[in-house]
Amino acid sequence: MAIVTKQVELSWLDRTYLWPILKGMVITFRHFLRQLFTPTSKRYTIQYPEAKKAMPEGYRGLHELKRFEDGSIKCVACFMCAEACPARCITIESEEFSDLNLTQGFEEKRPKVFKIDMLRCIYCGYCEEACPKDAIWLRTDYELSAYERLEMQYGKWDLMNTYAKKDGKPELTSDPSPAVPHKPVEL
Amino acid sequence: MESLAHILHLSPVTFWMIVKVLLVFGGPFTLAALLTWGERRGSAMIQDRIGPNRAALFGKWHLLGLTQIAADGIKAFLKEDLVPPHAVSSLFWLAPMFAFVPAVLGFAVIPFGQSFTLGGVQYHMSLLDPGNGMGMLYPLAIGAVAVYGVLTAAWSSNNKWSILGGMRVSAQMVSYELAMSLSVVAIFMRTGGYDPHQIIAAQAGLWNVVPQFIGFIVFTTCMFAETNRLPFDFAEGESEIVAGYFTEYGSMKFALMFLSEYVHMVTAAALIVTLYLGGWRLPFVADPGALLSVAAFLGKLLCVCWVFIWVRWTLPRFRYDQLMALGWKVMLPLALGNLLLHAWWMHRAVQG
Repeated sequence: MAIVTKQVELSWLDRTYLWPILKGMVITFRHFLRQLFTPTSKRYTIQYPEAKKAMPEGYRGLHELKRFEDGSIKCVACFMCAEACPARCITIESEEFSDLNLTQGFEEKRPKVFKIDMLRCIYCGYCEEACPKDAIWLRTDYELSAYERLEMQYGKWDLMNTYAKKDGKPELTSDPSPAVPHKPVEL
Repeated sequence: MESLAHILHLSPVTFWMIVKVLLVFGGPFTLAALLTWGERRGSAMIQDRIGPNRAALFGKWHLLGLTQIAADGIKAFLKEDLVPPHAVSSLFWLAPMFAFVPAVLGFAVIPFGQSFTLGGVQYHMSLLDPGNGMGMLYPLAIGAVAVYGVLTAAWSSNNKWSILGGMRVSAQMVSYELAMSLSVVAIFMRTGGYDPHQIIAAQAGLWNVVPQFIGFIVFTTCMFAETNRLPFDFAEGESEIVAGYFTEYGSMKFALMFLSEYVHMVTAAALIVTLYLGGWRLPFVADPGALLSVAAFLGKLLCVCWVFIWVRWTLPRFRYDQLMALGWKVMLPLALGNLLLHAWWMHRAVQG
């Protein structure tokens, strides 16, 4: 397609240069005054460390491993997230467990180790999409930093507690049910 | 003043000279430092930003970001003072001086206040007393020297971007100097002399900006070009030639270059105020007195400086051929026309 050029006919006033410059200066000065008399809290700039932006719900920030109401992990260690992960940052080791309340005595899988290397993670959200149990969410926290590389290796309990304080839930340090049944359940 | 001079074992005239030297060299320097703050905060406001407001004195007092000046100064001093191996080191060291000294020198003849009499002695508020024989020709001549600083910096850096910036700006300064001088000649004609005190005295009833409006426009535009401010920012041209003539400069040498640009701006503003805006005169006040006249001069100076900043953040940079076309085909004929107009006008007045 040919480029259509518009021939703008400038009036003599516009061709003096001076008048358009003055018009432009009026615009910038209006911006100047508006910004000058806007209180700091209402300006566009967010004064970062003091004020933080509320991230939208769909933001892909730090992960959280979801839990049931009794505190047991939702993840069933199916490895779908690890497979979907393009950065290969998820490491899972599974284990078996059984519990009369949770699994009616049947043996179920759950992760023994669930590790995300936050240094490699690219926050693409594929793990969240791949998860059949909605057990891993990428949420609003974006301030990830550490003084050592090892601190950026988030384990299972780190990931389960990432938003515990924000949601007002208790911090977990152990599974509510015993790991690995030591004897088979008799039916 | 006499008692103060007596304490220091100086004659009052010598004492006043020392005070003037301190004022004339310290004043533009301080103003330039403040202007860097004004530029950064002002541009931020124009662009709906906030600007530097983080630096704090003892981690407590932000002072609207004014502490940023001190922080910048400390940073510039503490940085490594590097001379690139391919540069001509002697000229490389001299260039910031060449840029800085003419910028300050231009201020020497400009009266920054009304002359006052104390104890039978008349004191003048300009470094050089009236009747020194140089008058306004001096700042114009010094302004022409300013191009050496830029060109020396550009040439000694031995860098293609630098030399491009330096060549562009030298061509620009030379072509705009003509129009600038011609527009000032019209003032000299109307005044009948080129002493700044005379020029200010002649503006008693009406500031020159009204009868010499064309000259004012031409002179202000040329001052933008002379001080290398946007829209004539050809020495730097950061989007085209990295940083132009100070591409290779760092630490305090860069700070000096940077500061000299602002001192130049203050001097240019002082020239505009003296020539066109009535110098230290206040409207409707015939005899403002020493302090009030200095305040008036400073106020006008700051207003003109603000216009410099304001225009910078309004207009984009000219293309090089547009700049040359504007300089030679618009500014020079306008200045000449202004000159002829006033010559004709005066001729008519003489004939009656």
